[in-house]
Amino acid sequence: MPTERADPRPEDFLPLHRDTFQILVALADRDRHGYSILRDVEARTAGAVRLSPSTLYASIRRLLENGLIAELAERPDPEHDDERRRYYRLTPLGRGVAMAEALRLDRLLADARASGLLPEPR
Amino acid sequence: MAIASRRLEGWSVRWYRSLLLFYPPEFRAAYGRELCLVFVDRCREQASWAGLAAVWLGAVAGLALAAPVEHYHMLAQDLRYAWRMLCKSPLVAVVTVTVLALGIGATTVAFSVANGLLLRPLPYPDPERLVAVDEAAPQRNEPSLGVAFPNYLDLRARNSVLAELAVYDSDRATLAGSGEAVRLPAGEVSAGLFQVLGVRPRLGRVFQPEEDLPHGPAAVLLGEGLWRERFGADPSLLGRAIVVNGVSRTVVGVMPMGFHFPDQAEIWLPLRLDAKLSPRTDHYLQGIGRLAPGTTVERADRQLKSIMRQIAREDPVSFQGQTVNVLPFRLQLTSSSRAAVLTLLGAVLCVLLVACANITNLLLVQATERAREIAVRSALGASRGRLVRQLLIESLLLGGLGAATGMVLALVGTPLLLALIPEELPRWLHFEPDARVLCFTAGVSLLTSLLVSLAPAHLCSRLSLTETLKEGGRGGTAGRRGERIRRALVVGEVALSLALLIGAGLMARSFLALHQAPLGFDSRHVLTLRVWAPRVKYDSKEKARALVRREREEVASLPGVISVAATISGIPLADAWGRSLTVEGRRPLSLREAPMINHVVATAGYFRTLGIPLVAGRDFTETDGASPLVTIVDQDLARRYWPHASPLGRRVRYGPPEANEPWHTIVGVAGTVRNQTLISPERPSVYLPHGEIAQPSVSLILRTAGDPGRLAAAVRRRLAEVDRDLAVSEVLPLEQVVGRSIWQPRFFTVLFVVFAALALVLAAVGLYGVMWYAVSRRRRELGLRAALGAGAGDLRGLVLGQALRLSIAGSALGCVLALAFTRLLASQLHGVQPTDPATYVWMAALLLAVAVAASAAPASQAVRSDPMDALREE
Repeated sequence: MPTERADPRPEDFLPLHRDTFQILVALADRDRHGYSILRDVEARTAGAVRLSPSTLYASIRRLLENGLIAELAERPDPEHDDERRRYYRLTPLGRGVAMAEALRLDRLLADARASGLLPEPR
Repeated sequence: MAIASRRLEGWSVRWYRSLLLFYPPEFRAAYGRELCLVFVDRCREQASWAGLAAVWLGAVAGLALAAPVEHYHMLAQDLRYAWRMLCKSPLVAVVTVTVLALGIGATTVAFSVANGLLLRPLPYPDPERLVAVDEAAPQRNEPSLGVAFPNYLDLRARNSVLAELAVYDSDRATLAGSGEAVRLPAGEVSAGLFQVLGVRPRLGRVFQPEEDLPHGPAAVLLGEGLWRERFGADPSLLGRAIVVNGVSRTVVGVMPMGFHFPDQAEIWLPLRLDAKLSPRTDHYLQGIGRLAPGTTVERADRQLKSIMRQIAREDPVSFQGQTVNVLPFRLQLTSSSRAAVLTLLGAVLCVLLVACANITNLLLVQATERAREIAVRSALGASRGRLVRQLLIESLLLGGLGAATGMVLALVGTPLLLALIPEELPRWLHFEPDARVLCFTAGVSLLTSLLVSLAPAHLCSRLSLTETLKEGGRGGTAGRRGERIRRALVVGEVALSLALLIGAGLMARSFLALHQAPLGFDSRHVLTLRVWAPRVKYDSKEKARALVRREREEVASLPGVISVAATISGIPLADAWGRSLTVEGRRPLSLREAPMINHVVATAGYFRTLGIPLVAGRDFTETDGASPLVTIVDQDLARRYWPHASPLGRRVRYGPPEANEPWHTIVGVAGTVRNQTLISPERPSVYLPHGEIAQPSVSLILRTAGDPGRLAAAVRRRLAEVDRDLAVSEVLPLEQVVGRSIWQPRFFTVLFVVFAALALVLAAVGLYGVMWYAVSRRRRELGLRAALGAGAGDLRGLVLGQALRLSIAGSALGCVLALAFTRLLASQLHGVQPTDPATYVWMAALLLAVAVAASAAPASQAVRSDPMDALREE
């Protein structure tokens, strides 16, 4: 392809959509399949973020295309293993993007606290 | 799953799976199974029906949001790929877009013309209920006579099918007052016209019935444009008097901006005709009516015809055997150009088809070249549907680019085209592209894109994977199959182009025949103009004669003027005044049988000024006009009535036979002149001296030493010195008047020739492409032939022979097409038959010559085939 750019930087993807960020966070600690991602997001957000299967796989398709996650060939989760399921892992770029987004949110939070909008954490 | 049974689960999954059909197939293939698994997991964890319902709701909502996004994503991906493909072979892309743009642009231009003339609704409420009412005398071959005033009154009073019937005449009116007198396009209308059209005034009111009576109050209506321009939009003008045509009239209303009926009218006067003084034989008004609710055009036509028969029974003497026709108003307005416009659309469709064939050819070649790429994609798992869709999208992209460029061409081309129309078009005619034209262009582009992608898509979908990959991408099978389609397409292109060329050739010959038709007068170095004089000021024959004599003398004294004559209805091809003829000593004919002649009033010097030969007798003198009354007839009339004797000294009478007009003695015979139209056969002409019919408003005809147009300003100045109240208009060289009379044939001939030339170029490009590709595919074979001793002549002959075979096959087909379709042109042709063999032969020869020229380069390429290359490759 003639117009192939140099390797993308994490900042190019910011800001992330809420669902995308949650998916990346879900994959931060271990590789997961789709349903496991849904459950993790729900548990972490106490049910505030509920992804539908359609939204989940549309996001997964985009993340795969952009190289933020990768599909695994092996089964990393013997506990819940289901050989029919596909597993996904965060790529170094994906990890970088998730961290960059987390930092961005952290800075926003710090700004809000510095201006007195939010109380300082105890 | 707490509450749902296995059965329910199976049912849920089945339904969910069918919902997934809303996704693009690629997405479904990649994630369909996963989606189902996650969905089942979700369902299983629900403890209540409500939870299950929520899962379903979430699934459906998610799908409704995600599916369009995925479709868009796929489309964008395909478009990006298509764009990359185009960029890979920019030459093909540029040629394709250019050819498409030409085809679509030409189609859009032709459709804009058709749209303006035939489709765009008239700017009046319920325009489809407007009907034209027109008298006709079919047995005298007069399909459109106009309406006689007394007949209008009877038709209006006795019918029950028209809500209102009105008559009008398109004229010019002189507006005097502040500054120089101006001649404006005017409508002389019966009071009901505005009701028929459904138009309300912007200010004041329209005419009342009493203002339309012969001695009723004099009223006038102004157009808003005129009111603003000339009277500064002064609202107090209402009720005030202005001088129009020398008569003081009260302004009763201002018509809204954009209302111009008939034609270009800016000012309206009531007809104020007296039925007693208007003969039933004087047909010069136009009739327009509005159908009563629930009536059809056919019913109205039947009833008015029966009323006409009644009128004929009541007044047999003045009945000329005419009938009355009621037809949709739009149809009457456009009847003269309808056939030409439809022919034009047909011609442009041919151009578009040739363009399509051309592009299909190009894309076929490209598809053959890409056979390997397509086979590889197919081997990597791209479905056949996906590949076909990809090809479709590529051609849609080309189609879109072509359409956009074509639209720009049309926008630029339409005004250029309209510049060919010299006549001032009626104001309701607009040719700018509107929503209908845009939709048409979009539709045509879409169809074209689909059409041109059919053959390549078909070819690719039948591609044999293993064979193509084995052949190393030389596209063997695809190449062979494509070759047949390509040749068939070239034959089709050549055939359509030849049919168009023959059509254009016929039109051009017909136009030349018109253009070179003997006029009977010399139109070079002649200036014509109309001079209107107020009747109130020149109210006697003596005053009128003196005025016209003075005008002639003053204008004749200008440097550069050779001679001057005045005439009424005597500017050739601009005026015509038909009357009937009675010849002394012959059985008196009823009005119905009496022949019609063209009646011209002229001063002395008329024939000399126009270069019309006097073949016998003498010209008028300044004293002609008093008793004994004299006349001059043309050779045509002399030949009809006195084929073996001299007409000099014989007596004739003009006007209705029973009117007992005085006898006129023939004192001269003039050469026959084309007076009315170049297109149809003429009635004979007769001339009367201006001294007899002395009216103050005349047309002046000047023979000049140099360019007649240069004298216009001087003539205007000189006439203003004669009388400031004279209004001069339509100052035109006679050559321009002649040109105007044949603008329609010229317009359509030019279009036809342009379209045919376009088709010829496209066919040549197509032939060149096919031959070039054939040669490059046969490079090895040609090289081998060269190695085996074939000379340059043999190789060249091989290629040219193939090209000629295709062209001859196409030409034969083209001649058959032309024979079938040029019959539709018959009504547009003058002096040439639709089957004119010379045109067929010449056009076929032209096409074959172009075909040989187009294949010359590929033939030379064949000659350059290197035998060594071929042997090495083997």
